[in-house]
Amino acid sequence: MILSPLTLFQIVGVLLFFMGVTCMIYKRTFIGMLIGVEIMLNGAGMNLVAASQLTTADSATGQIGSLLIMGLAAAEATLILAIVLVVYRRFKTIESEKVATLRG
Amino acid sequence: MELNAGYIAFAIYTLIILAGGMLAILSKNIIRSLVGLIVILFGVAGMYFLMAAPFMALMQIMIYVGAVSVLIFFAIMLTKSDAEAGIDCKRLLKSVIPAGIASAVMLFTVAKSRINFTIPEEVGLKELGKALLSTYMLPFELISIVLFVAMAGAVVLGFERRREKE
Repeated sequence: MILSPLTLFQIVGVLLFFMGVTCMIYKRTFIGMLIGVEIMLNGAGMNLVAASQLTTADSATGQIGSLLIMGLAAAEATLILAIVLVVYRRFKTIESEKVATLRG
Repeated sequence: MELNAGYIAFAIYTLIILAGGMLAILSKNIIRSLVGLIVILFGVAGMYFLMAAPFMALMQIMIYVGAVSVLIFFAIMLTKSDAEAGIDCKRLLKSVIPAGIASAVMLFTVAKSRINFTIPEEVGLKELGKALLSTYMLPFELISIVLFVAMAGAVVLGFERRREKE
């Protein structure tokens, strides 16, 4: 069975999701986690455009949805930048395991 | 012949994405992780070209590579992060297993779906702009509000920082 192009694009989307989740859990710093989230969002956008371009669905819908994902990713990166700065000022570190005031 | 060229380009872009992912996940230095992310972004832009959406590829390069990665670079520059320890096999295994389970479910779903694909056609910019200003008017306005609120929130958080210092 030869894979159809749509399936191939979806497999690459799954690969991006896999790399994003791995990066998010593996990295110790908040910025490493942010990089993982960006990889995942990219995979989602690519999958959306592939699903709209390669089927009979309306192509403009998928492209506009992907543009919205890009805008949300930009907004999210801005907020995380501000939050990381505040956390860094208070804790002098951005490692997720050291940022804790309650030690249970 | 043309289809084969498409498959070869697809394989090259997949390899670029894989290499970028390895660089992003396994490198010790956070700047190198960022470079890995940028490599992935360029690979995905190539994928957009391959599915006949050149406008999306351009937006990908302009928004992600031009704006988001610069933001992440600012975040790296303004904080001091120690280099991560070398490759921690146990931790890597602990993160690969949950990601693998979730991805396996997705792959199973993709393998089960039977959708006939069509040859992609490029959507004109005119059509896209018309859809953005008629059918998708509300999301278009909402995303501007979201961006404004995010920007204002970032500024408020920044001023909070300065006031506490005094």
